Amino acid sequence: MSTANPPNPPNPDGDGRRRVFAPDFLTELFRNPLDPAYADAAARRRERGPAPGGWRAPLTRAITAVTLAAIGLLFVVAYRHALADEPSRSQARAGLVTQINDRRTSTERLRSQADGLREDVARLRDAALDQTEATRLREMEAATGLAKVHGDGVVVRLGDAPTAVDAVTGQRNGESLGRVLDRDLQDVANALWASGAEAISINGQRLTSTSTVRTAGGAILVDFQPVTSPYDVTAIGPDDLGGRFAGTDAARLFRALAGQYGMTFQLRDANNVTLPAAIAPQLRYAAPATSETPGPNASQPTPSTTPSGGGR
Amino acid sequence: MIAVLALIAGVAVGIWWEPTVPLALQPYLPIAVVAALDAVFGGIRARLDGIFDDKQFVISFISNVLVAALIVYLGDQLGVGGQLSTGVVVVLGVRIFGNVAAIRRHMFRA
Repeated sequence: MSTANPPNPPNPDGDGRRRVFAPDFLTELFRNPLDPAYADAAARRRERGPAPGGWRAPLTRAITAVTLAAIGLLFVVAYRHALADEPSRSQARAGLVTQINDRRTSTERLRSQADGLREDVARLRDAALDQTEATRLREMEAATGLAKVHGDGVVVRLGDAPTAVDAVTGQRNGESLGRVLDRDLQDVANALWASGAEAISINGQRLTSTSTVRTAGGAILVDFQPVTSPYDVTAIGPDDLGGRFAGTDAARLFRALAGQYGMTFQLRDANNVTLPAAIAPQLRYAAPATSETPGPNASQPTPSTTPSGGGR
Repeated sequence: MIAVLALIAGVAVGIWWEPTVPLALQPYLPIAVVAALDAVFGGIRARLDGIFDDKQFVISFISNVLVAALIVYLGDQLGVGGQLSTGVVVVLGVRIFGNVAAIRRHMFRA
C-alpha cells in the first residue's frame, strides 16, 4: 500500500497548499478516513489564530446542536420505519401459522370425539338389532370404510426423491421430477383395489368409494386432509395381495420411476394392521325420519342408507 | 456535552412526535442514516483529535446526506437500482470503520 510519494503523504496537516493527492482513492480512504476538511480547518485556525469569537461562536454551536438533533431524529425515524416494516410481515405469518395449528388441533379433537360417539352409536345399534342383522351391518360398514378394520395386508411406501441441491447456492431445486403426484397415489390405490384389497388407507386416511386424492398447491389431500411424503398406502386383503399387486402396471411403473428418479418404492407385507374408519359421509339430501314409522323405508321415499351427493 | 444533549433531544422528539416518512423519501432513509453515522463518527474522532470544528461538522453532514440522496436518485433514474447506493455504503462504511478504529485508539490506547 505504498503511494507514489512516500515522503509526502497526503496529510494536509503539514502544508495546506502543497497537498499531494494520492492517485488511489481507496488507499487514501483507508489511510485517512476522517474528512480532510477538519484538518484543513485546524490548519487554518493555526495560521490565523483561534476561532472567531463574538456572536458567531454561539451561533455555530447552536447550528451544531440543531444538526445533531436532526441526526437523532433521523435515527429514530429510520429505526421506527425499519421496525414497522419487518414485523408486520412476520407477525402476520406467525398469526396465520398459529391459526392453522389451532384449527388443526380442534379438528383432531372433534374427530376423536366423533369417533367415540360413532362407536357408542354402533354399540347401541348392535344391542337394538338382532344378531344376524348386526353382523350384516358391520360387514357392510367394514366394506364401505365406515368402520375400523384390522387384518393382514401389505404396505406400499412411496416417497419423493431427494430434491437436487444446487452445489453453488445450496438452494433446493423446486422443480423435481421425482415427486409423488396425486395421480401416483390414485394409481396405487386403484391397483390395490384391483388386486383384491378390501380396505385401503393412505397415511392413516381410510379410503371409501367417495374419497378424493388430489393436489392442492404443493400438497396432496386425501379427503381434504393433507398428507406428506413418505406416503404409506396400507391395504388389507387376501394373502397373495402383495404378489398380485407386484404384477400390476402401477407397480412396474413405480419400480421404473424409482430406478430412474430415485423415488422410494417399497412393498412389504404387514400382519395385523388396523385401518381407521373413514369420516362418515355427510348426508346432503337425505334427512333422518322424525316420525315413528313401522318400517325403515315405508313412508320415506328418500333413500337414507346411501350417501348421496358424490362429493364426500 | 451540548452535542450529546442535542442528540438525545432529537431522539426524544422523534419518539414523542412519531413522524411518518413520505413514501417518496423512503428510499433515501437508509442511505441518509449511513451518511449521518459517518458525520457523527467523523465529528467524534475530530473532537478526540482536538480538531473539531462546528462549521465543518454541519457542512459534512449536510453534504453527505445530499450527495448520498443524489446518488440514490441518480441510480433510480438510470435504472441501475441499488448498485450506485452500494458505492455510497462502501465508501461511508469504510470511513465509519476507520473513524471508529481511531476513536477506539483514543479511548483505550489500543
